[in-house]
Parts: sequence; C-alpha cells; structure tokens
Amino acid sequence: MTVALTPVSSRRRGSGRARESLLALAMLAPSIVILVTFVLYPLGRAVFLGRQRCDAQARNCRTNGWGQYLDIAKSDEFQHALWVTVKFALLTVPVGVLLGLGLAVLADKHLRGVRFFRTVFSSTVATSVAVASLMWLFLLQPSRGVLANIDWLNSLFPVMKRPGLLNDPGTALTSVAVSSIWANLGFTFIVVTAGLQSIPRELHESAYVDGASPWRRFTDVTVPMLSPTLVFVAVVLTSRAFQAYGEIDLLTNGGPTPQDSTTTLTYLVYGSSSVARSDAGLQSGVAVLLFVVLLALSALQLRGLGRRVHYGNE
Amino acid sequence: MSRRHTARRGRTTTLAAAVLVASFAAACSSGGGSLQNAGNTTIAPATTAAPGDTLAPGVTDTTAAPGTTAAPSTTAATPLDSLPPCPTDALATADGPVEITFWHGMTAELEKQLTALTDQYNASQSAVKVTLQNQGGYEQVIDKYLQSGQGSRPELVQAPEYAVQSFRDTDSFIPVEACAESAGFDRSVLLPSAVNAYSTGGVQWAMPFNVSNPVLFYNKKIFAAAGLDPEAPPRTLDEMLAASKQIVESGAAKYGLVLDTSFDGGGGWYVEQWFAKAGEFYANNDNGRSAPATEVLFDNQTGVDLMAYLQQGVADGWFFNVGDNVSGQDAFLKLADAEEPGAMTIGTSAALGTVLAAIAAGIAPNVAADDVSVSPMPGPNGVATVLVGGASLWITADKGDAQAAAAWDYVAYLISAQSQATWASATGYVPIRPDAADLEPLATTYASDPRFAVAYTSLVETPDVPTAIGPLLGPQREVRVLTARALATVLNGGDPQQALTEAATQADALLADYAARQAG
Amino acid sequence: MATSDTTGAIGIDHVRPGWRTAARFAVLALVAVCVLLPVYTTLLAALKPGGKVLDRPFVPEHLTLSVLRDAWTEGRLGRYLWNSTVVAVVVTAAQLVTSVLAAYAFAFLRFPLKTFWFAVFLATLLVPLETTLVVNRRIVDSLGWLNSYQGLAVPFLATAFGTFLMRQVFMQIPKELREAAVMDGLGHLGFLREVALPLVRPTLGALALFSFLASWNQYLWPNLITTEEDMNTVQTGLRLLNASVPDIERFNVPIAGTVIAALPIALVLIVFQRQLVRGLTAGAVKG
Repeated sequence: MTVALTPVSSRRRGSGRARESLLALAMLAPSIVILVTFVLYPLGRAVFLGRQRCDAQARNCRTNGWGQYLDIAKSDEFQHALWVTVKFALLTVPVGVLLGLGLAVLADKHLRGVRFFRTVFSSTVATSVAVASLMWLFLLQPSRGVLANIDWLNSLFPVMKRPGLLNDPGTALTSVAVSSIWANLGFTFIVVTAGLQSIPRELHESAYVDGASPWRRFTDVTVPMLSPTLVFVAVVLTSRAFQAYGEIDLLTNGGPTPQDSTTTLTYLVYGSSSVARSDAGLQSGVAVLLFVVLLALSALQLRGLGRRVHYGNE
Repeated sequence: MSRRHTARRGRTTTLAAAVLVASFAAACSSGGGSLQNAGNTTIAPATTAAPGDTLAPGVTDTTAAPGTTAAPSTTAATPLDSLPPCPTDALATADGPVEITFWHGMTAELEKQLTALTDQYNASQSAVKVTLQNQGGYEQVIDKYLQSGQGSRPELVQAPEYAVQSFRDTDSFIPVEACAESAGFDRSVLLPSAVNAYSTGGVQWAMPFNVSNPVLFYNKKIFAAAGLDPEAPPRTLDEMLAASKQIVESGAAKYGLVLDTSFDGGGGWYVEQWFAKAGEFYANNDNGRSAPATEVLFDNQTGVDLMAYLQQGVADGWFFNVGDNVSGQDAFLKLADAEEPGAMTIGTSAALGTVLAAIAAGIAPNVAADDVSVSPMPGPNGVATVLVGGASLWITADKGDAQAAAAWDYVAYLISAQSQATWASATGYVPIRPDAADLEPLATTYASDPRFAVAYTSLVETPDVPTAIGPLLGPQREVRVLTARALATVLNGGDPQQALTEAATQADALLADYAARQAG
Repeated sequence: MATSDTTGAIGIDHVRPGWRTAARFAVLALVAVCVLLPVYTTLLAALKPGGKVLDRPFVPEHLTLSVLRDAWTEGRLGRYLWNSTVVAVVVTAAQLVTSVLAAYAFAFLRFPLKTFWFAVFLATLLVPLETTLVVNRRIVDSLGWLNSYQGLAVPFLATAFGTFLMRQVFMQIPKELREAAVMDGLGHLGFLREVALPLVRPTLGALALFSFLASWNQYLWPNLITTEEDMNTVQTGLRLLNASVPDIERFNVPIAGTVIAALPIALVLIVFQRQLVRGLTAGAVKG
C-alpha cells in the first residue's frame, strides 16, 4: 500500500507549527503508549527470550544465542507443527474461498427463497471459535456425537465411531478443518456477496449480448472482477489458519497421539500438551518464528494485494 | 478503486504458501532433532556429545549418561531447617479472618463435594476464609501456577502426582511436613504410601488429599454370559487376555478389555502402575527418589512385553483401543455401547461415583448399575501394588505467616478423618488415613457397596518396597506423553522395542534438559 | 442477511427456468442443510434432557428449558456475558477514539518524525497477537492486572489497523473542506468533530463492529490471564463449562451454553446488519 506522507493540510503559517506538532503528539500518544507497551516491547522481549532456555518459571535462564532459533526451526516439533499448519491452511483456504464464491454466485439471483439461503449462509458469522468448536465437538464425539451415532453413517464410515473422526490421526486435522470452514463460511459468503454486487451489471449484460454462456460470463466477467475480493478472503482465511488455536484446544488438544496430528504452530506455543509450554525461552522462540512465517506470508500477500486498499464500496 | 490491476493476482496466496513450504522443506532436509534440545549444544548437560557437535542438537548421546551419576542433586536429603518455615501459631495472633485462595482442578461432582466441604469449613470457624478458584483441570492449575508471578499466586494449590518434582523445584512452597511439625500433627495416622508419594529428598512437600488409583471396571452380566465367574475377575494380564478371548468368542460382547492411550491413562499412568506391579523401577536412582533420575528404564523387557501384550490383544480383536480422547470418558462409554460393547476397562477409582450416577440417569440403557463391578487393576503377576494417584495440596511460601498458617489449618481440616470419610464416600477417592474408613458415612459405603472399597484395599495392601513408590521426574508429564505416544504407535502396528527405545531416548534427553535448566 | 438483490440479480438469468434453476435450487438447498445441521442439532440438544438427546437426535420431542437453565446457572453465563460485554464495549470505544485521533494526526497534521511514527504503527500491524502474548501475560501479571477488566482490555485499546482505516478515509476528505473550515475559524479539533467525523461515519460504524467482534471472540488471551472464575469471558467460560460438566448424563449442558453464548452476538449482528459487510471487509486494509 502506498504511504502518502505529505500532509493534506500543511499550508499553515510557521507560527502554528509548534502547536500543530504538540497537538499531533497528543493525538498520537494514546496509541503510541499502548502499541509500544503491548506490541513492540513484547515483541522485542520475545525475540530476546527466544535465545534463552529457562525453567518453567522463566528463571535460571541461559542465553544460547541466535543459534537457538536455528535449532528450533530445525527441530522435529517445529517442523511438524509448521507442516500441520500449512496443511491446515491448504485444507481450509481453497475450500473456504471456493465455497464462498460458489454459494455467493448461486444465491446471487432472483430465485425463490434466495433471501432465506443468504441468511443461512451468513449465519455462521455469529459463532465464535468456542461456540463453533463445541458445536462440532458435539457432532463428532464418537460416543455422544450426533453424527457419530447415526447408524447408516457410521456403518458407511466406521472411523466415525472407531476411534472417532477427531481421535483418528488420519481424519483429525480434516475434521477440525471442516469445523473451521463451517465457522468461516458466514464471513466468506458475506464478503463475496458484497463483492459480486459491486460488479457493474453492464459488464454482464454486454457479455450476454455477445452471446457468452453463463459459464463464460462467470469465468470472463465474474471471476476477474471479483479477484480482489477473493484475494482478500484468501488472505484473511490464511491468517486465521496460521493463528488457529481455539478449535484445536477444544476439539483435539493437539492430538491424537502419537502423531500430534493437529499441533499447529500456535498450539505448539500455547497448547496445554505442548513441549514448549514448560520453557519460556522455547515458547518465545517458537512464537517469534511464527511471526517470521507470517511476515513472509504477508510480504507475499501484500504483493498480491498490490496497492489496492479496499474497504466497503468506496 | 483499481480492482482491475489486481485481477491476475488471485494466485499469489497459493503461491506464497507454496514458496513457504518449499523454503522450509529445504531447511528441513538437514534433519531435525528435538525441540527440547534446542540451544542445548552449548550446555550439553549430562551428555557426552562431542563439543564441536553444534548445530545438531538431536543427536546428543543421551544413552551415554551413566545410570547412577547424580546430576545436580536438588533432591539430596534436604533438612527441614533450610526450607521455608511454617509458623502455624501465626493464625492465633492474626487479627480478623485470614483470607486465602485455593486453586483446584476439581470438576463436576467433585467440585460440588469440595465446595460443600469448604463451605462447612468456612462456617465452622472465623479465623480463616477460603475462596475456591476452579481452574478447569490439573493442567490449567499447573500452567497458571508456573506462569504467574509470586504476587498472583494463591495460598494453596492442588496438583496431581506427576507435578511433584516440578512443583518442588519451583522453590516456592512450604513443605507440609514443616507445618505438620509446627502444629504437632502426627503424620503416622496417614497411609505411608500416600505420604511417600509426595515426599522427595526425605521431606514431605505436599499433603495428599484426593487419592485414587486405577481399578478394573467390568460388566458382570457379560462375564456371566461368557461363562466366566462374575465374582472372579482377572487378576493378571494373562487372565485378562484369556477372559477377553472367552468373552469375544462366546459372543457375550464384541470386545473384552477396552483401553486408551492417553498420558493420564493407558499410555502413561498405567504404564507406571504396571512397572510397580512388576516390582521394577520405571526410572533410575530408585525412581528418582534417592537422587534425580537421569535415565528411564521402561524400555526394558518388562516394558516390551507389556507393549507386545497390548498390541497382541488389540490385533487379535480381544481388546479395543479407544485411542487418545480429549474427554477421557470414551473407554467407559464403550462399555455402554449399544452395538459393540466392551466388557472391561481400566479407569481411575475416582470415576466410580460418576459412572454409577450416569447409569442411574439412564445414559446406558443396556447396563444396570448392579452390572458394574470393580476389582484391582490386573498386573503382570497379580501383586496388589498400586501407585498413588490423584492430587495433593501445596502451601505457597512468601505469602505471609498468617496465610501459611491459615492454609495449613484448612489442609488439616480437609485431611481430618471425618472430612476424608465424607469426601471418599461421596466421590470414590481413597481416604488417606485408615481411621477414616471406620467413620460414617464411609464405613457404611464400604460395607454396603464393596466396589468403593477396592481401591482403598489395594492401597493398604501395597507392599512397602521402593518400587511401589512411583517415579518422580521433573518432566514427568512429558515423559508420560512419550510412553503414550509409544503405546499408540505400537497399537497401530509399530515394533514395541523400537517404539520404547525411541521414547526412552527422548525421555532421557528430557531429563537431561530439565536438569540443565534447574542447574541454571 | 446483509445483502440486497439490486445489483447482483440480473434479469437475463431468470428467463431460463427449468432444470438449470432446479439444479441451482437443489445445490443451495443441499448446502443449506449441511450448514444448518450443526445449528439444528445443537438447538435440539440444548432443549432435551441429557438422556434423551441421542435417542432421536433430529426429532423435537421431550423438550425442556431445564438444560438451558442449568447451563445459565452452572456455567455462570450471565456473569461471563457481562464481562465480555464490558470488555468489548470498552475496547471498541477506546479503539474508535485512539484510531480517530492518531489517524487525524497522520492525515492532517505536520509534525516531526512523522515517517518514523508511521513506520512504528505499520510495524505493529504485522505482529501477530500470538507472538506477543507470552510476554504480555508477564507484563499484565506484574501490573497486578490478572483477573481484571484492565488486563482483558488495556492491551487492545489502540489499533494500528483502525488508525490506517480511518486515515484512509480522512485523506479522501477534499482539502477544500479543511480550507473552508479554517476560514470559518475552526481549529483542528473543531474540524474533526464537526466536519470530518460526520463524513466518515459509515467507516466508523464498520470499525466499531469489527473491533467489537474481534474483542468478543478473543479466546487465547482471556484464557491466559484468568485464574478467578468470576473474570472469565463468555468464550473461556464455555471452555470451563465444557471441562466442568463432564457428567455423562448431562453432557448437553455445555451445548446449551453455546446456544446462550451465540444468541447475544446474533442479535447484535441482526441489529447492525448495515455495518456488517463493511465491518468484515474493513479488514482488507490489514492484509
């Protein structure tokens, strides 16, 4: 995004300068105090701590130097968590975007009951991660879950009951991803629908006049015009995937063992069954590396977004 | 705004992910190592790794640490004098009621009972006022305690048996032995096994409160249908396998034993129990009781036999593995399963009350409360030995004399014979003192429903030998996770020896790492 | 929900009834069933006694409010909803104020080190919450703010995201307006209050909803700094409720808790439908 540093109103006489500066600082001060105290300082401190190994109370710290970051990055646990996180993103983001796009396009017509469908698809925006996760926990638990106890369903998929979708190393991550996709659908659907509605209808009409089939109009008009919105949705979903914690905490606790199939990076930092938990140094180290990974992602995504800054329909 | 310019960029996100994966995959190829070893190359604790061996922390040679080498000996006999004192007379001189906070991990019915006991205590006297704070489980209690600064900590904490060493090593507690001594409390009324479990370095650090141990739950109706004697449940592992086989083959139930692989169940806690039952140490230096353990021993033949046994039972279809479940109830629920029930499971004795209540509420229409029976957990040789599980009470230091005295007063109340009788009767926990078993309502409970007495009897019958005092490891929870992982691997077809060796190697590294961080 | 049929619906498409429409309808209906399934089963489970939930999970029978009542009292959801509301309202209000002030300074004022401060704000935008919370917990602890509204709210009282969002709209205000205001003798604060803010009201609304939702949905942070039951938010309260009522026969109490927890936010979203789309797409600046 471009950063215009030229003040809009700078045509003031020199006498007012000092006062203007003071006013500016006064206006910035509340934000600066908060951001420095609770974002920048903790970041710096975490970077510093990440070079150390401590006991669980963050005492007895030994500084091992920057090489410790390399050790952490190379450790099995970190790489496993990174891989799980990437898998989780690959499971949730493309499906989430496509589902949002598909449903928004299908529901973007005069069709009987379209309003009802829109309400349904938007509805999951009202669920927080805790609410959504507990709802899915209740569907999937092998012994008490509603889905797991439908006879024909679990005779078709025995894994639902034995050992249960969330308890089987092969299906746990996908199951968490499904709950996540569901919870994100409301957001995706609303945003894509808004994007669709801002496409000038003349474009569709001229394509129609040119004899383009509905599919061609979709690929040649809708998708290109919608791509900024889709990129935005993908960016948000990706960052949500990389920061996923609540759903893991409630649904699987990072398990099942032995593969730790759902231990994502964030869970590796904060999860109650994480090995990093008992060492403030390791915890900070992994947290900082999570930042580095997200930074790399944002750099790529900002390029993807270009200098487009999009809010609402302005 | 310029949407058109970005029309081509839709793919970038996918690309970004791909680039990241690629770059990390490249970095990975050099081979990993354990997170716990990150940075340890400069410390090289208790290992004989070559000094130049810098950026390969995973290959530190932990097996080379000789078994009995005492590491920095934090647990070597610590005289009580050098530890924080517990002036229990400070309560008398305090003005006004002393307010203390108790962090606990008791949930559901257990929380209700604890609240009832505490309300009664608060009402019975005016010197101390206890506020309960439920942290939602032991894990949360431990995490929050360790992460909190001294000022944010409560006066009293409940912690499970696997946290003993790590809690002791925080140097933030008053040993309850000091309080007992100061208050003239005679500890000989307590079960020695319960006291021993919470002692290290010759000092009793915490007071056992809710003691439990694993027992065998089984369905008598299924036993009878299979032609087994419902009153003679299996005592040994071999008998358990034979019974399972008979149950399955007779068609009385789909499975015999139902087991799980969680760290606080089949994968961790029970493994420790089975070693004690076999009369073997789980870790060196007398299970870490005479000096900090530097090496685990569970990868020996006993361990391999145990893993192979469980693997065989599952592979042949006699046992059923519910895996690692968040709720910790799936094994019990499998016994109540309508279509494919199991006949037995191993579970904590503390669950008995909950299980019976659940059946009474009609959650399992095909199981009646009277069908459920309880017997000692089968072991390799039928010896009664059980290790103390459950949790204990820790008094925080540096909170002030009156606070420490108040905390002790409350602890003394919770472990009084009457409180223990009430508590054990309501919950299924084991009283920590024999005289409680003679008091009401526990005496009636034990007489009228012998199922509740099984865990208590096992504990009383446990022989007084060093192997019958459980392992004490700094990273005990993490080590249990390792054995749980090994068991899960084995039950999925892994090689028992290989899985255990791997787990033991990692466990030894954890011990070394822990020792290095304590030495600070 | 928040959408209208004006631009998206193109007349050209409904001249073709028949199988195409039927197929479209079928797909929509199928997905709608899938989306509603968890909601429906959750509602039913919350309205049945625990022992009856799994008998016929899709049939509304044996309905009762007692489980919801249990969830409300045992889960102390009244208290937790209140906590969440206090924190979310305070955070939202504060974020609006701090963002508007800082954004105004960046958009309209000249002051030394402007580039530097801008870079500082920009940098904070890139730092994920998850990286700083390890240290923030210790900061809040040392301030004695565990288990307090300060602890829950203060770290989030300012947001670089909101600042950039507001700055962006401020910069679209025509210079002529500012010049006219100067002519009228309006100072900066007067201009902000009387001219700028009314112009950017839609964006303010969007930011408010965005901040409110973000604060309301916080999970990790309240989990980290709460050790007293009274100070849970509704999210951590649900976690506690899920851990605290594991009685097999009453396993649907936490389910009922989710229903109670979701209701207020659903109401908020229905009331603020108009802000919702903007609130959600507002995040685009963050990237």
